[in-house]
Amino acid sequence: MDGEVHRAAASWENGTLAPVDRLRTERADSPTPGLVEGTEPGAGQKSAMFVHAQSFEDLTAETEEARKEAEGYSELGKPADSTDGIEVLMGKDTISEKQNKKEGWQDSKSKEEDVSSEAWRSHRKHVFVLSEAGKPIYTRYGTEEALSSTMGVMMALVSFVEADKNIIRSIHADGYKVVFLSKSPLVLVGVSRTSQSDKELMRELQYIYYQIVSLLTLTQLNHIFQHKQNYDLRRLLAGSEHLTDNLLHRLDRDPGLLLSAVTCLPLASSTRDVVSSSLQAAKAKSLVFSILLAGDYLVTLVRKKDQFLHHIDLHLVFNLVGSSSSFREGEGWTPICLPKFNTAGFFHAHISYLEPASDLCLILVSTDREDFFNLSECKQRFLERLSKRNAYQALKDALKSPSYSVAQVGIPELRHFLYKSKSSGLYTSPELPVVYQSEEEEERLMGLYHDLHSRLHHATRPLRSIYHCGETENLMAWVTSGFELYLCFSPLGTKALAVSAVNKLLKWIRKEEDRLFILSPLTY
Amino acid sequence: MSAIRVDAKVVMLGKESVGKTSLVERYVHHRFLVGPYQNTIGAAFVAKPIQVGEKVVTLGIWDTAGSERYEAMSRIYYRGARAAIVCYDLTDSSSFQRARFWVKELQNCEEHCKIYLCGTKSDLIEGDRSLRQIDYHDAQDFADEIGALHFETSSKTGNNVDELFHKVAEDYNNTAFQYMTEETGVDLGQKKDSCFYSCCHNN
Ligand SMILES: Nc1nc2c(ncn2[C@@H]2O[C@H](COP(=O)(O)OP(=O)(O)OP(=O)(O)O)[C@@H](O)[C@H]2O)c(=O)[nH]1
Ligand SMILES: [Mg+2]
Repeated sequence: MDGEVHRAAASWENGTLAPVDRLRTERADSPTPGLVEGTEPGAGQKSAMFVHAQSFEDLTAETEEARKEAEGYSELGKPADSTDGIEVLMGKDTISEKQNKKEGWQDSKSKEEDVSSEAWRSHRKHVFVLSEAGKPIYTRYGTEEALSSTMGVMMALVSFVEADKNIIRSIHADGYKVVFLSKSPLVLVGVSRTSQSDKELMRELQYIYYQIVSLLTLTQLNHIFQHKQNYDLRRLLAGSEHLTDNLLHRLDRDPGLLLSAVTCLPLASSTRDVVSSSLQAAKAKSLVFSILLAGDYLVTLVRKKDQFLHHIDLHLVFNLVGSSSSFREGEGWTPICLPKFNTAGFFHAHISYLEPASDLCLILVSTDREDFFNLSECKQRFLERLSKRNAYQALKDALKSPSYSVAQVGIPELRHFLYKSKSSGLYTSPELPVVYQSEEEEERLMGLYHDLHSRLHHATRPLRSIYHCGETENLMAWVTSGFELYLCFSPLGTKALAVSAVNKLLKWIRKEEDRLFILSPLTY
Repeated sequence: MSAIRVDAKVVMLGKESVGKTSLVERYVHHRFLVGPYQNTIGAAFVAKPIQVGEKVVTLGIWDTAGSERYEAMSRIYYRGARAAIVCYDLTDSSSFQRARFWVKELQNCEEHCKIYLCGTKSDLIEGDRSLRQIDYHDAQDFADEIGALHFETSSKTGNNVDELFHKVAEDYNNTAFQYMTEETGVDLGQKKDSCFYSCCHNN
């Protein structure tokens, strides 16, 4: 217990929080026990929409853990040898002073950026992708060409360690964490100055790996590199860099990626039911998933019986649609691999907005690449049904206020929260209150949630709940077999208040669940 | 049923960022979008009715992505096309090489597809002649050699864009007319079905 408190305090220190002596972390017993998975607010009534809906671990588990066991791994602390290699990359310790420099995300992707400049070095999180031959494939900042020698060093490091039948997982040095993910035929490297754990960083690298696989399929990737080890993969990825850039941005900002969950457009259940059944009726033989999005909100999802969509695959779809205006005009038709479903093959997605200026985007995922016109007709049928049953207007009205204010909950001290129903894989969260609306504050709040999340899901010492008093806010996190809850309170509140707030909030969510969640997902 | 009824399938081909999407955007929506360049993902389809003489011809335009990633997929976009607009960027000589590649591909796989060779971004070379990397006459010679029509367009100013698509629709209309006169006794509707089976799914 003592150890826990201490550890936690140390990890907060690196973040943006208050002095250590004011910190208090406690492992509380569940104040309202007995909420069992499948009965929590927001749990689907019939069947889950996603596979592995509740698993945060599944992202990392199958690969890392399995490999760890199979081959045994060594986590490198600060081996003198390796830090030399890392020096090349990060330079001296002067960098930490720039830590809090604001990073406007739009202009942060300055590809022309000089890779020897301070600005380049001062980015909080670098991500590199390289081939096993050490050829650069992607860098978040700067150009791949300029970094080819750096990437060469990284690859040398990876193979040096692997030669010993070990796997290099991470290097900690100088306030930096360097995390390696080897996913043949790719190697991904993250360099971070954030307080995120290795596990979290690894998870982010996994996402980037899946992003690349979704564009090419693993089969094609393997084929290419078997054929030509030295292949320059950038040729095939040309034009997709912004997808990866955007995904990295989302990983920092989007609670859904943190929680391995998706959020729904708040919608009267009667309206959602009509939308879902209209989509269900507009089916075609080759259809596997029909997904209706409104910006980053899921409106509804209909799937083929016995086929499940993984939340990672859904996030990749969100990212694809959100990163490109190319679907704005006309109807898009693109091959897409959903790596959690099958890394070997492409689906074909019909992607179109319901109206040019609308946020409502329909994605019809099919197995048949010849089926475009058939799916185009499905969309028409869907639209006709929607209008006939007067649901289209209701849907458009709901879109005018896609989020809700935390004030609706009626807990004065509560500023913000994230609530995830584990069995449905869906989460809900109010809009950010004014105090967190600036870019820096939003980023900071997300950073706090990231920290809580990483401590709840600590690889060796997971926690069930955390209460934390800070100077600018009090935080609470609680995980049960049914849900995960993260709360942000005004700093004036007390722990007793927070605990009673949780009960009140859970009741409120229960009351609102048919508006905030998709309780009855449909199949064709 | 409100499914799109398409008369002629038209496919846009060419290296990435030569301006295929901009061309379609200009023709269909009469506008030129400034701002960061957005690669097309996969392909985009749009149906556009166009008045030719007394008839309305609906072009089903497939705007394909230039990225090599989608090359293996390209067949489904040009199969059964009546016209291909093969684009190159007047200021980028490598894009002309790529145009030659597409022409060869079409000649091998789609012999009935009429080719329109289109040099894009002519406004740039009007501003600065030294930017031109593809000589007008070289391109014209190549077009003659392959039996293609040749245009130079600007999606920014709109120069020659309507003319290009109008010519495509007109040529289609004339060949459709030819079918009718040559093959008297054959039901045109039937002929159409076999002709366009792969490009559009009506009912
Ligand atoms: N000045 C000028 N710029 C143009 C013109 N047409 C396109 N561009 C610019 O060229 C860039 C690429 O245009 P797109 O139309 O997106 O190119 P694309 O061929 O569709 O590219 P992919 O979808 O990747 O295959 C954009 O930045 C356009 O603004 C033009 O006529 N004049
Ligand atoms: Mg395009």
